[in-house]
Amino acid sequence: MFRLAIKSIKHSPKRLILTAVAVALGVSLVAATQIFTNSLSSGFSDLFSDTYSSIDVVVEADPNSDVLFSPDEEPLSDADLAAVQATDGVADAYGVVITQGALVAPDAASNQPGPPTFVQNWNGNADIDTGAIAEGTAPTGPGDVVLDADTFASGYALGDTVKIAGSEGSSEYTLVGSVELTSGTSLGAKFAWMSTDDVHAFNSDIPGYSTISVIADEDANVDDVAAAIGEELPEGTRAITGEDKAAESVEAVQSVVQYVDIFSIAFALISLFVGAYIIVNTFRIIVTQRTREFGLLRAVGVTGQQVRRMILLEALVVGIVASTIGLIMGYVLALGITAIAKLAVGDIFGVLTLPPDAIAWAYGLGLLVTMASAIAPAIHASRISPMEALRESATESKKPLHTRNIVGSAMAIIGIGTVFLGLFGDFDKPYIYVGVGAVLLVLGMSLLAAQFLVPIAFGLRGVLTRLFKVDGKLAANNIRREPRRSANTAAALMIGVMLLALVATFTESLKTTVTAQFDSTSADYFVIDTAGTGIPDSAIDLVTNTDGVDEVARVGVGPIQYDGADSRIAVIDVEASTDLMTFETDPDITEVGDGTYIGQAIQDQGVEVGDTVTLTGGGSTMDVEVTGLFNDENGGDFNVDWATGEEILGDVVVAQLLVSADPGTDVEALQTTLSDELAAEYPTVLVQSPGELAQFANQFIDLLLGVISALLGSALVIAILGVANTLLLSVTERTREIGLLRAVGLRKRSVWRMVTLESMVMAIFGAILGMLLGLGLGSALVLALADFGFDGVTVPWIWLGIYTVLAAIAGVVAAIWPAWRASKLDILKAIATE
Amino acid sequence: MTATTTTSLAAQMRDGYKDYGTGEMAVRALDGVSVDIARSEFTAIMGPSGSGKSTLLHTLAGLDRLTAGESSISDIVITTLSEAQVTEVRRNNIGFVFQSFNLIPSLTARENITLPIDIAGDKVDKEWFDEIIGILGLADRLTHLPAELSGGQQQRVAVARALVSRPEIIFADEPSGNLDSRSGAELLGFMRRAVKEFGQTIVMVTHDPTAASYADRILFLEDGKIVDEMRDPSAEKVLDRMKQMGH
Repeated sequence: MFRLAIKSIKHSPKRLILTAVAVALGVSLVAATQIFTNSLSSGFSDLFSDTYSSIDVVVEADPNSDVLFSPDEEPLSDADLAAVQATDGVADAYGVVITQGALVAPDAASNQPGPPTFVQNWNGNADIDTGAIAEGTAPTGPGDVVLDADTFASGYALGDTVKIAGSEGSSEYTLVGSVELTSGTSLGAKFAWMSTDDVHAFNSDIPGYSTISVIADEDANVDDVAAAIGEELPEGTRAITGEDKAAESVEAVQSVVQYVDIFSIAFALISLFVGAYIIVNTFRIIVTQRTREFGLLRAVGVTGQQVRRMILLEALVVGIVASTIGLIMGYVLALGITAIAKLAVGDIFGVLTLPPDAIAWAYGLGLLVTMASAIAPAIHASRISPMEALRESATESKKPLHTRNIVGSAMAIIGIGTVFLGLFGDFDKPYIYVGVGAVLLVLGMSLLAAQFLVPIAFGLRGVLTRLFKVDGKLAANNIRREPRRSANTAAALMIGVMLLALVATFTESLKTTVTAQFDSTSADYFVIDTAGTGIPDSAIDLVTNTDGVDEVARVGVGPIQYDGADSRIAVIDVEASTDLMTFETDPDITEVGDGTYIGQAIQDQGVEVGDTVTLTGGGSTMDVEVTGLFNDENGGDFNVDWATGEEILGDVVVAQLLVSADPGTDVEALQTTLSDELAAEYPTVLVQSPGELAQFANQFIDLLLGVISALLGSALVIAILGVANTLLLSVTERTREIGLLRAVGLRKRSVWRMVTLESMVMAIFGAILGMLLGLGLGSALVLALADFGFDGVTVPWIWLGIYTVLAAIAGVVAAIWPAWRASKLDILKAIATE
Repeated sequence: MTATTTTSLAAQMRDGYKDYGTGEMAVRALDGVSVDIARSEFTAIMGPSGSGKSTLLHTLAGLDRLTAGESSISDIVITTLSEAQVTEVRRNNIGFVFQSFNLIPSLTARENITLPIDIAGDKVDKEWFDEIIGILGLADRLTHLPAELSGGQQQRVAVARALVSRPEIIFADEPSGNLDSRSGAELLGFMRRAVKEFGQTIVMVTHDPTAASYADRILFLEDGKIVDEMRDPSAEKVLDRMKQMGH
């Protein structure tokens, strides 16, 4: 049997090429991700073990502690450093303080957001400083600064004045040297080192250290040293060995990388799901074409089971070949991605190997999807009666579609029900319901598509005939002739387009909501901070004191602990804010007093108005009464007035300012004035009009749409391959028919057009079905998230139009190979009697 | 229909050669054939298998190209035309009836009959259509798909399709080959009527003496050459002639 299967593949490999390519594409995605992320984590492992190799013990804020540090204190003091230094077994201890700022480019004319600059104290130990002086001298004196070599090379010279913007405005330093980083890469960030005092001054005169790095005596046991240090430390900090710290960091990276894996495997699964349709179609068509062959085999005594096994063996061979190709393609793809990533962030990658994970996933998924898809056609083939060998022509049995319709409708209805259950029901993991429901709906629609196609093709027949004469009529007929085949082909495209339309519906609705929000404000400007360090008080004063500025309201945020979990608090200038912004609260935000309004997440936990919640922040732990509900998606879990916020957080980081201009002021001119005034000292603080900010936010939403669309690209390519595949097999099947048409005078061009029309109709039909489904599911999703502030569904008409046009183009492209095959057909061979 | 031609020939071939393959493998299927097909005549081409009779039909009809020599339909020399031009000649001047697989399975009988006219984008001559349908007895089968028709009906649809555009010439390749003798006789009778009553020119390849006896004239082909010709044949005369050829 195996030999027969191999022979059959060898005999006409062409009909399996596109199937194998489709599987290989899906597999390559999985393989590439696995190879890439494996290399990434091994790169990071190397990086961290290098970084912590010479540091024996790290003292730092304990990430697992309930103690929170306010933005105006460092966790470790000089006294702590002295205590660590005095501990038995400690040879050297270095206090490290790192803060964030923004390096102002020498030629920066105005406010420019850029990558963050890490400002660190210089210790004079390459292991602690993570680099060594490459050029010039170390920053020993006040006002000295050194920059990492990459930044230095971007247009600086020794002796230059370097301006760095921080949370308290900008400071100027003299550039005395450059530093070669031990790791060789800055990962896209910028680094500046200066004396400890200068860092403290830069960081709002906050004394102390972020971490302490300890080098132990040579004969000391580092675990003992870490334990001994731990006893000396204040609450909320810990001592951990360098080895453990490296392991912890690697684990942290890996847990992030894992999400990349899951994310891309999800998209690869979509691709393979689409690919499954193609495999089913291919094997179904092949079985039909070989009906007489199977009939003959059955006649000479081969059992149905053996026929089935033969088909599955063919699928196995296709699966193995395709998975292998996919694995190779994946490796090449990973090489490409790594090369591009290296350009962006530097060489942080380990050697590109072929991890066992990648091989297991590639073959596992590749074989599973191929074999599973071939089961139904194989069973069909095993039921072919020996009598079929004697029949005149091989056509797919004209089984009525009843069963298919009933099963399809049931699946679609249950699918829709499950999706709605997930979206609007109250379940633990709603996405499981949504996912399962969506898959059921898609499968059901694929089955039902066969029923839709018949009347649609028939309806189109008239139009196509009028537009394209016989070519159109024949194309419409061909689609109707094999409704299952056409439906499966269209359904493969439907899935991809459905997801596109779903995402487009979601993002467009999100954009509408965002835009509406900025429209609802009466503020003339939003002042935002792009460095992530907050807007300095002095900058706020500057804005407030500028002529023409009427009101200024601050919006702050901060991390807190509530009920043993991390949470976020939003701090609002209640008095000023209400004039500038409308909040969706119950009751009005002005009623908040010294209580808190709770957001949706906390409301869902069953907390009600009148309850008392205990909030722990960097400033203090406070019992706060819940005085209202905050139903605006802009808020935090807890929303408090400024006074309450300062008490809990200690120091509130101001994330943005809402600013209004005096009546009668030239709003645009004032914006220019504000921008110019801020540019000099606070280059990371931007003044934006609500419209600009909406546009800014919408850019990110568009980016999201773009990224997801790109990731769906492979599923779409596979679907288009599917259209080409079906047509190719159909054209082969219709060789004699096309020969006859050519004999009675159909031109090559017309044959080409006939195949292209067939392809376009299938593609557009699939796209329209997909858009309807995507629009439906997307709308359901948006409505389900109404609690999070969605105003309503925005139909992404432009995208739908683009998708339709693209589907038509895809149809033309998919038809190229089959149409070429059909039109170059040898008439004599085609019509020759068997 | 190109009625304004000056010659009385519907098709002709001069010194037609057709080789398949090259070098030692080369097979000469036509070896210097010259034929004239007169208008309104029913010509049959006979010969043993491998004699080149199908090749002659294919090259005359512009389905295949001569290696050397010249052939024309009406007064159009097709041997020098491009593929697209030949296709057009076929569409406008030639009708076909093959042994099997004559019809497009997805089109109804009516659509199959009007296919060449539809391809050309012309209007169907309603009266002529009805007349043919009447003669061929297809009036109540027009909306059926080929799969729903008997073999004889399918071949009659094919003949109707060949006739409906009033082509210069109809080429038929064993049209009754797959039919039982009664349906075959019926079909050949229709073809003969088309020649007699409408002046249609028909060229038919067959190896069946009975079928050939419906023709006005029989050309005998052997080893790629025309070896004999017979006028007003009967089945017996044809059989005798074929016995001479070694059948």
